Amino acid sequence: MSTMTALLRYQAALLLRSQRWLPPFILYAAFLGIGVQGGQPVLDSLGYTAAALLPVAAWLVRICTTNEPPAARSCVAAAVGPGRAHLACLLVALTTAAALGTAATLVVTLISDPASADHRTRVSLLAAAAAGLLATLACALLGTAVGALTNWPLLRSPGRAVPAMLLAALLAVVVTGSPAQAAVSGLVTGSQSGTVPVPLLPLAGAALVAAAVTAVTCALTSRRSP
Amino acid sequence: MRRDLQLNNVGRRYGIHGPWILRGVNLELARHTLTRVEGPNGTGKSTLLRLLARIDAPTEGKVTGRPRTAYVPERFPQALPFTAEAYLTHLGTVHGLSRAAAPRAASEWLDRFGAGAYARTPMTRLSKGSSQKVAVAQALLAEPELLVLDEAWTGLDEDARAELERAVAERTAAGGAVVFVDHDPRRLAGAPHRTYTVTDGTLNLRTDKPTSPSGPQVSLDVQGPPGGQLPPEAGQFLTSSTELTPGTHRLTVPASHSDVLLRALLTAHPPWHVVSLNQRADLPLDDESPR
Repeated sequence: MSTMTALLRYQAALLLRSQRWLPPFILYAAFLGIGVQGGQPVLDSLGYTAAALLPVAAWLVRICTTNEPPAARSCVAAAVGPGRAHLACLLVALTTAAALGTAATLVVTLISDPASADHRTRVSLLAAAAAGLLATLACALLGTAVGALTNWPLLRSPGRAVPAMLLAALLAVVVTGSPAQAAVSGLVTGSQSGTVPVPLLPLAGAALVAAAVTAVTCALTSRRSP
Repeated sequence: MRRDLQLNNVGRRYGIHGPWILRGVNLELARHTLTRVEGPNGTGKSTLLRLLARIDAPTEGKVTGRPRTAYVPERFPQALPFTAEAYLTHLGTVHGLSRAAAPRAASEWLDRFGAGAYARTPMTRLSKGSSQKVAVAQALLAEPELLVLDEAWTGLDEDARAELERAVAERTAAGGAVVFVDHDPRRLAGAPHRTYTVTDGTLNLRTDKPTSPSGPQVSLDVQGPPGGQLPPEAGQFLTSSTELTPGTHRLTVPASHSDVLLRALLTAHPPWHVVSLNQRADLPLDDESPR
């Protein structure tokens, strides 16, 4: 069995059995419960669904990187290298966020009105779901990057890590130029005219940012104190 | 292909302006060797072991070689949401075992350390000692090429401590390198090939030979084929060896290494004959006085 598969299984089991995934899942459900109602224009609701996933992904990264006590992390790091151990944490967080976002996107697509914001132009549900999935994935990737940047090995004390993570997640959703903001506003603008966007560029941008942040943080794992 | 782990002029400090914890460290951990690191508390022994396990990267200098490594920390956390068995099975696969082999190795090592009864106990409910047994078992599961033990004996009961010493002997006999830190000077007494002292952030090889082998010893009278040489694997652990009559030898080894010596002798071609075996406590086990 490849080491990476073993690591991913271990990290996923750690997340699942710790039950710490529950609060972010509940928070996401609450976000959606407040912001999304049946019969609303599909692209607006999908934009909201994607945007709300970003802080959830960041929180999942925080959970995955703090799940293992430092001594246990050292045992794994000795076996596979600290960088790969950290990579497995980030991948499990990202996968969990992406799976959660996908499920939410599908539900939201099904309960929403397949029409533009003024309910006059019809919108293809299939194309809307595809656009929603791309935007959701972009937000999961960027949220993972935010989580990786604001937790161990870069920030360790919860007093600094948590506020930094919340602020960075908020900025990543609203600041112009952020791939997540581009993906979400693409959906919202598309809803006004009834045209479904294909947010491939924001997705590529988010993937690039996430890959760069992952590379940097994994390289730093062996340079910071445990 | 594997290479022995080597530190070349390595230094480590935390933070950009932090004080140097270690500097100018040169060290090689060759196969078949047992290395002891000693020194007062807070001198950087743990940092050195983290560098050797490649958990930490050096701030300056170079670390080369990537043996398959296992590490045992001094205190192992109980806050893991697994049973002992499930945790060890996961760690076994992380160390490279197959999914079929990992649970077998897990239960074998739990049994060896007398923790078989706790296999299905959640880690959160294990005692400190039992959770340290899990930490030690984790490191031995996949027969690592380099075993790094940071006060791994702390918290283990007497039987488990002796078992860990034997496991260390097995690892080195099988071609692994083992490096350890322990506050007890009698730990694996007489067995390390090299002992280093960390003082003021530098590493020094201890050259003063202990005057007599310390710690419990086992002496064996063995008979080999006429004119036969001792098997090379057997030779490396011996405290002393005298030829009593042609072909008959009296061998003395640290008690921790008696099993590997016997195994080497009995599986040699042709095998050696063990005439007698005696335990000799050069120092009484209950002797607490510092030496």
